[in-house]
Amino acid sequence: MAIIQVPRPPKDAMNPNRPANALLLSQVEHMHEAEKRLPLRYRTDIYVNAIKTEGEVANYIREVTAAIHRAHVDAARQRVRPAPKKRAPVLQIAAVAEESAPKGPNNNAKNKKTKVAPKKK
Amino acid sequence: MANGSAPGLDGLQHIVVLMMENRSFDHMLGSLGADDPRIDGIQNAISNPDTNGTQVKPQPLAEFQGQVDPDPDHHFPAVDIQIFGGDTSANRTANMQGFIKSYFNQRRDVQHSQKIMYYFPKEKLPVLTTLASEFAVFNRWFASIPGPTICNRAFAHYGTSFGRVDMNLLYISEPFQSIYSRLINASPKHTSKLYYYDVASSTMEIVNLLQNQPELFGTFDQFLSDCSKGQLPDYSFVEPNYSDHDTDTGEEVASDQHPDHNVQAGELFIAQVYMAIKKNPALWASTALLVVYDEHGGIFDHVVPPACPPDQFTASANDTGTGTAFNFDRLGVRVPAVLISPWIQKGTVVDRTFDHASIPGTVTKFFLGDYGPRSPREKNADVFLEPKTQPVDPARNLLSLAAMRNDCPEFDV
Repeated sequence: MAIIQVPRPPKDAMNPNRPANALLLSQVEHMHEAEKRLPLRYRTDIYVNAIKTEGEVANYIREVTAAIHRAHVDAARQRVRPAPKKRAPVLQIAAVAEESAPKGPNNNAKNKKTKVAPKKK
Repeated sequence: MANGSAPGLDGLQHIVVLMMENRSFDHMLGSLGADDPRIDGIQNAISNPDTNGTQVKPQPLAEFQGQVDPDPDHHFPAVDIQIFGGDTSANRTANMQGFIKSYFNQRRDVQHSQKIMYYFPKEKLPVLTTLASEFAVFNRWFASIPGPTICNRAFAHYGTSFGRVDMNLLYISEPFQSIYSRLINASPKHTSKLYYYDVASSTMEIVNLLQNQPELFGTFDQFLSDCSKGQLPDYSFVEPNYSDHDTDTGEEVASDQHPDHNVQAGELFIAQVYMAIKKNPALWASTALLVVYDEHGGIFDHVVPPACPPDQFTASANDTGTGTAFNFDRLGVRVPAVLISPWIQKGTVVDRTFDHASIPGTVTKFFLGDYGPRSPREKNADVFLEPKTQPVDPARNLLSLAAMRNDCPEFDV
């Protein structure tokens, strides 16, 4: 079968200044609801009530969509942080302690850091 | 073909759905009825009265852009006028006589309101009309709700809109899982992805999926790459570009065909999706592509939407804006729908009734078999691909050929 030619849209089909239709405005509204749930550092500073054109809609949606993905990626990174180093088994610690540490009620006191109020000048 | 022998279904591994925006069947495919009387398209007897009482017939004068502007109203009250002709009485009958009347309400210009009856001659839509003629075209695929985009798209994702008939998407505590969650949580696990065009177009399925499961999403570039590499998921849902916008690499023209976006850009997009699958021989042999529109966008169609079993939700009289509650017991206006596979007989015309609940219904039954927690509407919706789990009824199987076709069309994209 012969290859069917597909006519391309004319250049003047593109108009990012076209007033946004009801669908796009509702998409902005939904995006804004999603944005409100993001931590502050991911939010945009775009005032959604002032969005009027398709280009403005696209700009806002680009920012929030990317932020949602970024927030999830960052959260996943936090989730897979390396676990803290394993402590030695309790029994070994107890055994070492029995060998080296003198018995007494205050044997740990010297290792404790004491918070001292700064001296008044 | 003998009962149970269905090599096309046996080898089917991928289902892809491309959902376009806001065009009716008669507007896009109605011209095909002149060549093939099996297709329920434009007929001579069809007309709508204008506000002067003059009967106006559909005319093949639709233009790619700049004609249906302002965007025809397709919210619930306006669609009610379009379907019932403005009759609000208790015993009214649907007659599809209110399209001009409804459009007149927006600009109060009689001549302009008649343009809602215009349709495309087939030569102007070489992609969609070729696909409809070459594969399977549905005579009875309706929007799920006589209303706007978001609630109709919800039916494609969840099999219900959870009682919504409007553009509100904030139905967070839904009792039914999306088709994507069903698949990825299944055992054995299946793969699924929603491909939006790019981050500036994003998705219409925001609050429920993107916000909570961004890993389900990819871009159209990724779709093209996944097709090329043979990495397409079991189920893919593709969204067009919803807006004209600039990117780092140039200009992107909206391809969703939502009025007043350019219809040719949508034709090109449909062809790109089709060719991305077709160019990979293994993928082409194992994929079924459904091209469907979310709703009619206020544009004329002549087929009366049928009644259907009600959903378990009700939209209140206040929510519908018509003064009458809605039990989701009738479908919306008819939309274009075409199923594509090299295993489909050329020129197939399907007369069974479908709506967007058929999408999760089909995908669920095909990949998961019996699955309990689904909406009443979805459970009652017909499937467009027969499940593998039962003997295949040859009368229902659209992928019916014994051997794959090698005469399928190609587009210059």
